[in-house]
Amino acid sequence: MSTWLANAIVRGTDVSDWLSEKRQAALGKLKQQSWPNRKTEAWKYTPVSVIDRGAFSPAVNDVDANAAIDAIDNLDASALVFLNGRYCEALSCKTLPEGVSITSFHNASAAQKEWALAQFASVKPDRHLFGLINDVLAEDGLLIDVEPGVQVTTLLRVVNLFSEGIEAHSRILVRVGKGAKLAIAEEFTNSTPSLNTSFAEYVIEDNAELEHYRFALQTGSALSVGGGHFKLHDHSKLHSTLVGFGSQLSRVDVDIEHAGQHAYAEKNVVYLLDGKEIFDLHSTIEHAKPNGTTEENVRGIVADQAKVVFNGRIHIHRDAQKTLAELNNRNLLLSRKAEVNTKPELEIYADDVRCAHGATVAELDTKALYYLQSRGVSRQDAQIMLNFGFINELVDRMPNEALATWLRSKLKVRFAQMKVSSPQDALVNS
Amino acid sequence: MTEQIDKALAREYEAGFVSEIESDTFPPGLDEDVIHRISAMKNEPPWMLEWRLKAFRLWQEMEEPEWAHVDYPYIDYQSISYYSAPKSMKDKPKSLDEVDPELLRTYEKLGIPLVEQQMLAGVAVDAVFDSVSVVTTFREKLEEAGVIFCPISEAVHKYPELVKKYLGSVVPQKDNFFAALNCAVFTDGSFVYIPKGVRCPMELSTYFRINEQNTGQFERTLIVADEGSHVSYLEGCTAPQRDENQLHAAVVELVALDDAEIKYSTVQNWYPGDEEGRGGIYNFVTKRGVCHTNAKISWTQVETGSAVTWKYPSCILKGDNSVGEFYSVALTRGKQQADTGTKMIHLGKNTKSTIISKGISAGRSNNSYRGLVRMNPGAEGARNFTQCDSLLIGDQCGAHTFPYVESRNPSAIVEHEATTSKVSDDQMFLCQQRGLDAEKAVSMIVNGFCKEVFKELPMEFAVEAGKLLEISLEGSVG
Repeated sequence: MSTWLANAIVRGTDVSDWLSEKRQAALGKLKQQSWPNRKTEAWKYTPVSVIDRGAFSPAVNDVDANAAIDAIDNLDASALVFLNGRYCEALSCKTLPEGVSITSFHNASAAQKEWALAQFASVKPDRHLFGLINDVLAEDGLLIDVEPGVQVTTLLRVVNLFSEGIEAHSRILVRVGKGAKLAIAEEFTNSTPSLNTSFAEYVIEDNAELEHYRFALQTGSALSVGGGHFKLHDHSKLHSTLVGFGSQLSRVDVDIEHAGQHAYAEKNVVYLLDGKEIFDLHSTIEHAKPNGTTEENVRGIVADQAKVVFNGRIHIHRDAQKTLAELNNRNLLLSRKAEVNTKPELEIYADDVRCAHGATVAELDTKALYYLQSRGVSRQDAQIMLNFGFINELVDRMPNEALATWLRSKLKVRFAQMKVSSPQDALVNS
Repeated sequence: MTEQIDKALAREYEAGFVSEIESDTFPPGLDEDVIHRISAMKNEPPWMLEWRLKAFRLWQEMEEPEWAHVDYPYIDYQSISYYSAPKSMKDKPKSLDEVDPELLRTYEKLGIPLVEQQMLAGVAVDAVFDSVSVVTTFREKLEEAGVIFCPISEAVHKYPELVKKYLGSVVPQKDNFFAALNCAVFTDGSFVYIPKGVRCPMELSTYFRINEQNTGQFERTLIVADEGSHVSYLEGCTAPQRDENQLHAAVVELVALDDAEIKYSTVQNWYPGDEEGRGGIYNFVTKRGVCHTNAKISWTQVETGSAVTWKYPSCILKGDNSVGEFYSVALTRGKQQADTGTKMIHLGKNTKSTIISKGISAGRSNNSYRGLVRMNPGAEGARNFTQCDSLLIGDQCGAHTFPYVESRNPSAIVEHEATTSKVSDDQMFLCQQRGLDAEKAVSMIVNGFCKEVFKELPMEFAVEAGKLLEISLEGSVG
């Protein structure tokens, strides 16, 4: 048993508020879970011992003078800021788009509480250990509600900031009302030593549309375990983009449930890893109802001694006839010490469906490299161009152009830091 | 399960083992004493007994694996009898009239000659069936080439050095729960040794050793192909076998030394249980081969039987330029469950592996592909291609794919593809429009779906495998 987990359970017992009923239920389940080790299927490749080795102190209510939000050019956005897991009104945007209500857990009205109690921890499945920890310890969170039929054009930026040595747990619960439309980005960018769990639950009602981004750009010793969980009702649409850099521990669990018919989900994931970083993504698509469509594209580049773990599961339930589901995972390995572990899974119980998945792991295409070099591009530049092109195909699919431009500049910096030179060089030079 | 075992046990007792029970069939239960007795029965040397006991002690510490996508009732390992002597002639059916007509109907369709039918159904035919002479001819021919092909219990006595060197070298005692159990209690199986540079003059088959059948539920096979040799081994039988055992925990070990090649083909059609999922064999098998430099191991399997299958024929590509192949057709129907696939562990440079898996699910069955492709840091220039296709027939079955891909070498290329679909309406329409009935059409489409695998089978096996599939699919359409 981990001392950190034991400690978290003790702390969880003391949390008392209007969500207590939910928290106690989670605590009960948490007590039955064991601390992951190499034999735990969901954590087979990702060690969590680093959590026990770090010394983190729970967040306190203070304002960090260094806290600042990354400015993004030409972006129409309202920022909502979490500082060390607590919603910080001082740093957040005061004016909100019309038809959107944003309330912190502490200030929820009776009606909001009733709705939140029904949804909290119901979109997110119980099997995620850190999700349960978050259920218990996320003392502050946001309820975001979009009124039916409202088309929100302003992007909501949920910015997460962390001070050094802090342990933080944050939560958001979002409802996109019938026929409404919302775009939201969750941002994590720190590299200071810290530990956070951050889970988001989204209910997308009939005919509603959600454009979602999660930028899990933490690096270094910023330990992060989080999740995004989506429930899609009839004719709803989800377009979700996840970008991950790795840190000593960076893990994201994604669940997309087709709870209604004719729902459509597109999920694009990009990861770029360097140094000794780890990025671990577990994604599960549940097709519970007929006529759903899912397209999932996962691509990444792994350099130096980094390790990526991808587990992509598609589960077609008995009744989910006429489902179309596709999952694609492509990896570029840039170094002899880097590691890719991928497992695309299909679990299918309905016959009239079309499902496929594919996974590849390789290095850069030598022919493409040769082609560029033969046209006078230096080997180094050619490698960067090809690597960038590989990733950029998915960045291009982001509906928000301003965000895509900002992301490309981030990726550019990342590429410059990474050892993009491919292992073939060793052969060429020797 | 326990009920089934109880029933089976009760039946054996009913059969009236009065005075012979001590020597012929052990009472249910497993402890060190039982292993001492199995070993003594086989008159084994002390090293073999020690080896078994070590396995048994390891097994006691192990837990039954639960990760497979199969569901079966708890097995009480203490309620199974671990040694049963071959049935005496008087216990066997006297003629085909006493054999289950359903079984006979299948034989008929497969076109199996009457004498063979009798043999397969376990009819007491030794006086009639003239296979002994056939067997002897084959034996002589093999001896001429220097090939050793004998029961493993015989090999323990005749070739102790070879057995000592290779037994457990690919699947060690502590490998997994079922393998450990097999190591402790295996009663018999085949041993094959192909000397240096020899190309085995014929395809070896357990069929030829059928007079020494009833090797029990814990079968052990060890095949060693010495440098530059070649062998093709066929296991199993295309016809369903009458078998009273519920649990089969077999182990197969292949060793392909430098430049050697082993081709191992299986057609498995054990009793799958009835439509309601009652009865049937639990087939928990560990099969693995190791390839040295330039060696090649090719697994081909057609799995249509057993109530529960748990089987992952694997290759350890240890030597540079070695090749591993896995071709599989797994068909499940009724309430059958199959969790099968392969592991390709690439250690050497320029190693290559190909995985082609075709799963067909019908009725209320579940069919899973579970595989692992691992590129170790030393697997420079290695290559893997995996293709898993599943076909669903009916809306009450399941098809699942669980492939693990682990790559730690950038110059290694791994490709995995999987698709799942049903028999397309267009294809059905086309066939029916040309006068085929629905059943024939499905059978034809399924046969086409499996073609890539069937073409890897030895010719006569391929023909029967096709027929077998057809029979298995009967009644699953419409």
